[in-house]
Amino acid sequence: MAVTTDRAALNEWVACGWPEKVAPGGKYRTVLLGQEIEVRRTGVNLFEVFECDEHGKQGRQLPVQAKYCCVFTTLGEPTRPLPEIPEFDEPDRRITGCGSVGVHTSPFRIIENFLDMAHFSFVHTDILGAPERTEVLAYKTEHRKDADEIWAIDCQFYQPAASKASRGGQMTHYAYRVMSPFSVMLYKNVFDDPTRNDAICLFVQPIGETECLAYMPLAIVDRESALTSIIDFQQTIFAQDRVILENQRPALLPLDPTIELPTRADASSIAFRRWLKAKNFQFGVYEKKAA
Amino acid sequence: MAERLDRWIGVALDGQIKPGSSNPAVIGGNAIAVWRAEKGPANVWEDRCPHRGMRLSFGFVREGMLRCIYHGWGYEPGGHCASIPAHPDLAPPKTICANVYRSKERYGIIWTNLSESPNAPLPDAGPDQGWQSIRSVYVARQVVAVKGGLATFDWSGGRVEEIGEEAAFVSAGELSLLIAIQPVDERKTGLHVVAKGDGAKDVKARLAWAARLERLRGSIEAQS
Repeated sequence: MAVTTDRAALNEWVACGWPEKVAPGGKYRTVLLGQEIEVRRTGVNLFEVFECDEHGKQGRQLPVQAKYCCVFTTLGEPTRPLPEIPEFDEPDRRITGCGSVGVHTSPFRIIENFLDMAHFSFVHTDILGAPERTEVLAYKTEHRKDADEIWAIDCQFYQPAASKASRGGQMTHYAYRVMSPFSVMLYKNVFDDPTRNDAICLFVQPIGETECLAYMPLAIVDRESALTSIIDFQQTIFAQDRVILENQRPALLPLDPTIELPTRADASSIAFRRWLKAKNFQFGVYEKKAA
Repeated sequence: MAERLDRWIGVALDGQIKPGSSNPAVIGGNAIAVWRAEKGPANVWEDRCPHRGMRLSFGFVREGMLRCIYHGWGYEPGGHCASIPAHPDLAPPKTICANVYRSKERYGIIWTNLSESPNAPLPDAGPDQGWQSIRSVYVARQVVAVKGGLATFDWSGGRVEEIGEEAAFVSAGELSLLIAIQPVDERKTGLHVVAKGDGAKDVKARLAWAARLERLRGSIEAQS
């Protein structure tokens, strides 16, 4: 697998593991954008990341940050810092990663699926959506130019079981935040408490153009549920998505809106694809061959 | 996407595509969905929802429409999208249409032609009546090797009358076999086999032919 030459992709911070993946003193190898790297855990929350050359020998040292239950690095020169997600510092929240899940598709298919409400009733039936309540009400999308983030706000969808803490159906209010082409999060109101939001992240490690690892750190308000059952809930949802994600064709994301036809409910997907196109992304993107 | 020739290819025996089901198949590297409403003929489409590229062979059939498993978009047998559940009050634009291939059911076989301008005739095996399904076999060899294997196989007293592009014909006493040849990809070929004549009326005789076809598969795959 060749290392990508796409500067837009190289210049992002991307997840490459989570702190507890190895014990202190341990190390592991993984691949980022086609580049093999070695991640070393030198202390409880201390990490070093190196490129590996074609013979597997240690190469250049890379920047590293451990945050939001993930370890992040970059192969290029990031034009933006890691996003601020203050919910991870709120003391009464349950903070956890959910390990990683391998998915054979473009990283952008995974991000886009996370932004999508219209599939809840069909893919997450009787959990995040009800078969008889499929309507996606109008919502707004914004490109916040100061942080260069895509937001979808005023989103709402009827959910039979919005979270592990749910004890019945509710109209769930969502806000979605695309923080980079490889990272996205959502805020959804907590069951029975409209003043608090659960924060759920999705960080994608692009191994190659159609091979990824997905990390789902959570910062949620739920005093009752066991941590394992909170993680089980997220993993159940993601397993349902994965069946879809690995069966979309092409696996690479088409940016040309005539290849895949959107409707109003896809406003966030439309904004995301336009944003990738404006960044001139090549990695993970489908280019229609000339006839 | 692989080349799509003007040629009729058998993809399944009629009975393999149950009413109210959607099923995957591959012809020459092209992924297709073969589906049937609660009643009516089989439909053969590109295996791809025009909305977000999900395979339609994962879809489900409700009220005469094939619905994509991802967002529930419903398509009528002609290919037009008639229902977008995210917007129940919206009439979907006419431009949203699945890629529909020409298909026909004849001799107990579902045939399709992936060409954009299909003109070729169906293989001619005479009248449509009286054909009984034997079985389908998938051979882990290219179509050239499979045709070679059909020519040299010991047909238990029968003989190969013809091996054409789309089909082969074998006659064995009181029975005629029609073998539709489906090039799946560079490693696999499908054979969909039906029979007619007095020798095909008996279940035991048909089962014996099904067993012979399994031996045919084994003999072709035994050659390197």
